[in-house]
Amino acid sequence: MPQQLQLKRKSGTRKANDRAVRSVCRECTVGCGLIAYIQDHIIVDVMGDEEHPVSRGRVCAKGTDFVRGIRSPERIMFPGARNRPSGPFAAMENIEKAMDGLADALKRVRDRSGPGALAVGCDPEAGLDFYLGARRFARLWETPHVYHPLDNPIDNPFGHPANDPGNKPLYQEGTSALTAPTAPCTEWEESGSLFLVEADPAATHPVAFGKVLQAKARGAKIIAADVCFTATLSKADLPLLIPPGSGNLLGMVLLKGLMELDGLDNEAAAAGLDDPEGWRATFENFSLADGAKALGLTPEAAVGICRMLVQHAPVTAITGKRLAYQPDAGVWQTLAAAAGWTSRVGGGWYPLEAGRPRLAAAGDIENPRPGGREIGFPYQGGSGADAPQGIKAVIASGNCFNDFFLPFKVSTREMDLIVHFGAFANLTRDLAHMILPSALWPERNGLCFSNDRGIQFGPRLVSPQDACQTGLGFWMRLADRFGWGDHFPWRTETGRADPLRFYDWVLARNPDTAGLTVEALKASAPEPIFWPLDRGRGVKRTSPPFPTDSGKIPPAPAPEKISLPDGGTAQTQDMG
Amino acid sequence: MKVQKKKLLLVDAEKCIGCFGCDAACRMEHDLPPGPKPFKVFRIGPIAEDGTFRMHHRAVTCFHCDQPACVSVCPTGAMQKRDDGIVFSDMELCIGCQTCAVACPFGIPELNPGTGKIAKCDSCRERLDKGLWPACALKCPTGALSFGSPGDVVRLRRGDHAVHIVETFCRPQD
Repeated sequence: MPQQLQLKRKSGTRKANDRAVRSVCRECTVGCGLIAYIQDHIIVDVMGDEEHPVSRGRVCAKGTDFVRGIRSPERIMFPGARNRPSGPFAAMENIEKAMDGLADALKRVRDRSGPGALAVGCDPEAGLDFYLGARRFARLWETPHVYHPLDNPIDNPFGHPANDPGNKPLYQEGTSALTAPTAPCTEWEESGSLFLVEADPAATHPVAFGKVLQAKARGAKIIAADVCFTATLSKADLPLLIPPGSGNLLGMVLLKGLMELDGLDNEAAAAGLDDPEGWRATFENFSLADGAKALGLTPEAAVGICRMLVQHAPVTAITGKRLAYQPDAGVWQTLAAAAGWTSRVGGGWYPLEAGRPRLAAAGDIENPRPGGREIGFPYQGGSGADAPQGIKAVIASGNCFNDFFLPFKVSTREMDLIVHFGAFANLTRDLAHMILPSALWPERNGLCFSNDRGIQFGPRLVSPQDACQTGLGFWMRLADRFGWGDHFPWRTETGRADPLRFYDWVLARNPDTAGLTVEALKASAPEPIFWPLDRGRGVKRTSPPFPTDSGKIPPAPAPEKISLPDGGTAQTQDMG
Repeated sequence: MKVQKKKLLLVDAEKCIGCFGCDAACRMEHDLPPGPKPFKVFRIGPIAEDGTFRMHHRAVTCFHCDQPACVSVCPTGAMQKRDDGIVFSDMELCIGCQTCAVACPFGIPELNPGTGKIAKCDSCRERLDKGLWPACALKCPTGALSFGSPGDVVRLRRGDHAVHIVETFCRPQD
């Protein structure tokens, strides 16, 4: 392929600074490299890291504006409490007094309503340490209600509640977005086409979307399907409007269409799928015409899209987070394997916001969740109809109530205690009885698990204010008040939270990253260390084995009937 | 005095996704409060057209005119044009009268409520004087903004077209 021309970039800062710190942006899961320029403990400028292999000096608005957040007048700096969610907060003396008050209030809720009345919402803003700390604390407290938007149903261990509300073993390997060989965005320039479904990376992941446009400039076809016309669709060669909730059905229709065109890679399917023939048989009664109709497409248009994908291989399917919460989400991994995309550089599946590491290891204290079985995530239930009942206390980080915790919002009036662990005044803070200030990501050491399956260490750029805690520190302090301090052993000699020990533990307990340490990650900067799952990254792949016992995945079968969630409508589009 | 070479900021609308990365970069570089936007990003659409929709994004900043009206009308001489073509406002001389804002045919100069003086794109002249690119072009996540000499920018544009032609008409089909 011809090389695209680029002008010689000249980066740096004009502003006076006493040190420059190489770090990684943790605003999203692309994992862009940053250089922060610091003067007198204040970040005076931020530039992209020109050496970083993913971002190459690019940063988005979020990767610049986070600096304003640190010193924002809207920042919550001190703990406070009030009796009802209206009126001003009374400032509390210090963080230790605030944690004492929180422990007492939680005890009262447990005495009155039982341990299962506590729910914890983990906004990514609070960090991975807050989420893992919450899982551990919740296990000790005996409540199953811990939620994180990256708790991806298809990442298992819990399976999709709509498919199987019963028990599932931890890690049904192979159905997970996390265990799938990924299609790193750094390789998209090798793609023949990019298929984006219910994903708007132009708005949410601009640096990654820049690579989509690079691929397009080199001749790749861009096909984008979504329920409304987005900035991503505006750049597509073929924009498709589909009914709400039908993204995974589009994957099924593509599979069926490719079967009919003989466009699947039989060798790759045999290598990647358990029982490929049995799986094909499940599609015998699946009607391409009916599927296309439900999507608002003519059968000819659906076949035309499949033909385009065959002509412009390898294909990378980029799927949005919402799809993971809907039935048949496993279709994308199946499609990428059966069509042979996974086995080629520039091809495969790239689920957005699936960069979280596998967390569970057999026998760890927070697994299985209390209650005998796993619980579904009520993400899609904006009405609150599928939210757990009987919740009387919530610890909500970031702005959960304005996002994935929306189902709980309808019942906040019946709650006895709402605690906001966050940095900014927002809806969650408005609903809270108690506020506890949290440190922002530039104020804490942390790991970035990127969509590319890269792991990077991001050092703390500036120190937090005294009252601002890390997520790990929050749970550690709370656990100490219940006599559970031994379950939070990641401490410095002075008893403070030690995130480096904590992240060493995270890496060690994950079978994919065992042997990796924070020190090794520090030494690797600016190159991220990629997960061992991506063996062969950067070189020609030949049907990489899936990390299952058999090296193959159980493929997603065709649905027995085609249906769309409530509110889904379709108008037939003839794509010509 | 050494005459600065003229540099151009190339805005490729095909690559602009309306992410406001340029706006954020500019506000950080110049420490601007909410309000003035030396880099303005417009979204046009979605517009129904031929059975589908179209949406365009336009990133607009000062054109650094050859004969800038803002410079002509400035009563204090704050608004100036450098030898390298950059039009800028000298904060020491600006009195915030906004005459330049009225005179500019593109509505570029705006009042900075934090300082009471005019805020407008100055091509990051202090960065340029240190040999650096403007912040907006460096940070643009898609490469919609590029910076260089007129010759470099034209070569880039020609190169992009050449790649597009080769990939569109000469690529072997699988």
